[in-house]
Amino acid sequence: MSQAPAICTRGVTRDFTAGQQTITVLHGIDLDIRAGELTYLVGESGSGKTTMISIMCGILWPTEGEVKVFGTDIYELSDTELVEFRLNNIGFIFQQYNLIPAIDAASNAAVPLIAQGMDRHEARERAVEMMAKLNIADQADKLPNQLSGGQQQRVAIARALVHEPRLVVCDEPTAALDASSGRRVMDLLREVAVAEDRACIIVTHDNRVFDLADRILVLEDGKIIHDGTEMPEEH
Amino acid sequence: MAFNLRNLSFSRQVLPAIAGLALLLAIFFIVGGLPDRELSEPENEPPRAPEQLADAPRVAGSGVVEPSSEVVQIGSALSGLVTGLFVQPGDRVSEGQTLFTVDDRVARSALREAEAAIGEARAAIAEAETARATASRQLALYRNVDDPAAVSRSEVIRAEGEATAASQRLALAQARLQAAQARAASARTEIGRLTVRAPIAGEILAVNIRKGEYVSTMGGGGSQPFIEMGQTQPLYVRIDIDEEQAPRLDMGAAATVSPRGASDQQVKATFVRAEPLVVPKRSLTNSAAERVDVRVLQVLYELPEAASTSETLFRVGQQVDAYIPAKGGE
Amino acid sequence: MIWIAIRMLTGDAQKFYGLVFGIAFSTLLITQQLTIFVNLLERGASGVYNVSSADVWVMDPVSRTTDVSYALPSTALDKVRGVPGVEWAVPHIRAQASVRTKSGDLEGVAVIGVDDATLIGLPKNMIEGSPDVLSQPDSVIIDDVGMTRMFPGQSPIGERLELNDQRAVIRGIADATPSFTSTVVLYTKYSQALNYVPGTRNRLSFVLVGAEDPSQAKALSEKIERETGLKAQTRDEFARDGVDFIIENTGIPLNFGITVALGFIVGVAIVGLTFSLFIRDNIKQFGALKAIGVTNGKIRKMVAAQAALVGFVGYGLGVLGTLAFIWSFSANPTFKGFYIPWQIPIISLVAVTLILALTGWLALRNVLKTEPAAVFR
Repeated sequence: MSQAPAICTRGVTRDFTAGQQTITVLHGIDLDIRAGELTYLVGESGSGKTTMISIMCGILWPTEGEVKVFGTDIYELSDTELVEFRLNNIGFIFQQYNLIPAIDAASNAAVPLIAQGMDRHEARERAVEMMAKLNIADQADKLPNQLSGGQQQRVAIARALVHEPRLVVCDEPTAALDASSGRRVMDLLREVAVAEDRACIIVTHDNRVFDLADRILVLEDGKIIHDGTEMPEEH
Repeated sequence: MAFNLRNLSFSRQVLPAIAGLALLLAIFFIVGGLPDRELSEPENEPPRAPEQLADAPRVAGSGVVEPSSEVVQIGSALSGLVTGLFVQPGDRVSEGQTLFTVDDRVARSALREAEAAIGEARAAIAEAETARATASRQLALYRNVDDPAAVSRSEVIRAEGEATAASQRLALAQARLQAAQARAASARTEIGRLTVRAPIAGEILAVNIRKGEYVSTMGGGGSQPFIEMGQTQPLYVRIDIDEEQAPRLDMGAAATVSPRGASDQQVKATFVRAEPLVVPKRSLTNSAAERVDVRVLQVLYELPEAASTSETLFRVGQQVDAYIPAKGGE
Repeated sequence: MIWIAIRMLTGDAQKFYGLVFGIAFSTLLITQQLTIFVNLLERGASGVYNVSSADVWVMDPVSRTTDVSYALPSTALDKVRGVPGVEWAVPHIRAQASVRTKSGDLEGVAVIGVDDATLIGLPKNMIEGSPDVLSQPDSVIIDDVGMTRMFPGQSPIGERLELNDQRAVIRGIADATPSFTSTVVLYTKYSQALNYVPGTRNRLSFVLVGAEDPSQAKALSEKIERETGLKAQTRDEFARDGVDFIIENTGIPLNFGITVALGFIVGVAIVGLTFSLFIRDNIKQFGALKAIGVTNGKIRKMVAAQAALVGFVGYGLGVLGTLAFIWSFSANPTFKGFYIPWQIPIISLVAVTLILALTGWLALRNVLKTEPAAVFR
C-alpha cells in the first residue's frame, strides 16, 4: 500500500491499577491499520482487545505510546478537540447497540449528525437514506424495541456510518445474532464500511465469520501474536 | 413536521401547555387578587387644624357652646298651677317681661278679703267720728252751762266719758284700717310673686312647663328648670383644655372653632377669659358614668355673630372642636 | 441534542410523571402552605387594614394590637390633635361584648365605635346599606363574617340584637377582612359604642390620625410619641405588630415551617430518587453519546433541559393546584380575602430550582464520571 496507514500505534502500553496491584494489559503494541481493509481484532477475554480498540478510537488514554489516526496524534489533542475528532471521524457500533429507546430508528441513526449540530429534520432524512442502503428504510418510524435484533444492529450500523466517518469501529457485532444474520451483517459492513479511504476494525471472537476478514490480528496477553489474512491453526 | 393530532404528545406538548397556562393564570390571579390596602381619604371631612396652625405649635380642645350670660334657669318662688305661659323657645325677651304666671286665686281672695276689711274699717271710722262729734258737742253744751245746778255733776262726767270713748273708738277703727291695708298690700305682693318675669334680656332656650302644670318650689319633674334662657348675642364657647396642655396655651389668642360634623366651617373666636377653677372633665358622651381622672382648664371664647339667622352655625349646647395656638409659635 | 434529551425524558413515562408529580407536589405543598400561613398571619393585621384612611394609630404605650389594647383618657384625642403635622384625629373604640341573638344564644362580638361625625374607622366597602345608616338611632353595621355566623342563610338587615341591655338594630353589612379569630364585628358610632360596652373609666382605645403628608407618617408617629407620651404606630408598623403578636403567641410559624420543610424534603426525595433512577437507566445511552462525540458540556445541557422541563411542568401544575385550592375555598368566609402574595410563587420556584439543581447535579455526577470506554465492556 502506498498510502500512509489509517491508524498507526507506536509503543502503546496500558496499565490498570486495581488496589495496590498494577496490571499491564498492553505491552508496547506497534500496529498499522490500513484503510480499505476489513480488519479483525481477535483474542480471548482478557487479552486486551477491548482496551486496544478503546485506545485506537480515542476514548481511553494509553499509559505510554502514541496513536495516530489519519495522521493526527489524537492523544495530543485537548479533551474537547478529541471529542470533536471522534464525532467527525469515527463511527461506533456497540455490542449492545445502545440505541436510545425513546426515539425512532431514523432519529437514532441521525444522532451523530444532530450532535454535529445539523438540523434535526435534515439529519433524519440523511439517516433514512443511509437506512435505505441497509434495506431498513421501512423501519424508520419504529422505536428500537419494536425492531428485531438484526434490525437494531442495522440501525446501529446506520448510526455509525451516517456521518461518513473515516474509521468504523465495531465491538462484537455478531455476538447477539445467529450465524446467518451475523454473516449478513458482516457482508453489509464490508459493503458499506470498507472503502479506499476508510478503515474498519472489528473486534470479535466469533469464529463463524473469520473467513470474511481481510486481515486478522490476534491479541494475547497484551501482545500481537498473529497478523495475517487467515486465522492461525491453533484457534 | 406537520402538526397533527397523532404527533401531539401529552407529556411533551399538552402538559407544558397546561403548565404555561397555569402560570399565566397564576400571574393573573396574583395580580388581580392582591388585597386593596390603598389609603383612602375620609368621606366626611374630619376636623382639621386651620391652615395657619397646620405646622405651628397648637393646642386642641373640645367644648360646648353657651350663652354669654351662661344659661339662666328660671324657677318659681311659689308653688301652684301654671295659669298663663307667655313665651316659647326662641323668643327674645326684654328684662322684666312676664314669662309665666302661677295660679293666684288664693292670693286674690285674700286681697278681696283685705279690701272688704278696709271698707269695714272705714265705715267704723265714720261711725266713730260721728259718735265722737255727738259726744263732744254734748260735753261742750254742758260746759257752757254756768248754772252748776242746771247740770248735775254726774251728767258732766258721763258726757266726758262718752267723748273719750268716741275718740278711742275712732283710733281703733283707724288701726283696723291700717291692718286691712297692710293685708291688702301683702296679698298684692303675693299676686306679683305669682308672675314670673325675665331677669335679664335674652333668648328663651327651653320651656319645660305647660299651662295647667303644677310648679313647685322644689323644682319641676325630673329636676328640670321651668324655663332656660340666656343672652345669646354674643354666644360664648367653653373649651376644655387638658391640664397637661394648659401651660402651653397661648392665653389671649383667638381660637379656631368648628362645629362637630361640619368641620370645614371654621370660625375665629376671640378670647374672653379662662375660668380660674380647673375642674374635672365632664364627659360629653351622654354616658351616665362620669370620668373624673382628668381635669381640664375651661377657657371661654366669644363666637362671632352669625350673618343671618338662617346661617346660624352654632347653637347653645353644641359640641365644637377647637384649635388654639400654643406658646412659642411664630 | 436537547430534543433527544426531552425525548429520552418523556419516553420513560413512569419516571417522567414521577418527576413531575414530585415537583408538583413540592410546589403545591410549599406554595399552598405558605399562602395559608401568610394569610393567617395577615389576619392579625386585618383590624388595621380594614381602616382605610388612618395613617397613624395612637394608643396607650402598653397596647400591642388592635385587639390587645389599653384604654386612653378621652383628652388623649385633643393631645394628639395638638401635634403639628396631624391633619386630623378621630376617636376609635374597640371592645369585646356579648350579644344576645333573637334565638337567645350568646355570641362574643367585637364592638367597634367609629367617630360620630366622620365615620372614620369603617371598612372601605359595604356589602349592603351605606355607612350613613349609623345616623339612625341604635344602628349597628355587621361584618360579613357575622352575617354568615349569626344569620346563616338569611339577611341580617333589620334584625335586633341585645347589647348590654340596649337595643341594636342591624342596618348594614360591611365588607371587611375577618380577624384571626373570625370574631363577629359590629360597627357603630363612638357615642353609641360607649353604651353598648359595659363601662370602665377610660374607654377610648385608639386615636386614628391622618397625616398632613402621608409619606411622612413615620416621622409624624415619632413626633406624636415625643409630644404626647403615647404610643404611635404607622399603619404598616401596627399591621406588622398584629402579625408579630400571632407569631409570638401561637405555634403557627413552627407548624407551617415544618410543613414547608417537609414539602421541600419530600420533593428532594421523590425527585432525587426518580432522577437518579432515570439517569442510571439511561447511563448506557449517555455513555454511547459520549463515545460518539458528545461533550460533557452538551450532556450537562441535556440534563439541564430535562430538569427544566420537569421543573416547568411540575411547577405549573403545582401552582395550578394551589390556585384551585384557594379559588375553591374563596367562598368560605374563613378563607375570605385569601390571596397569593407574589413572593410565594417565587419562593417555591426557588425551592423547585434548588431541588432540581441538587438532584440534577447528583445524577449528572454519575454521567460525567462514566468513562466512554465503558461502552465496550
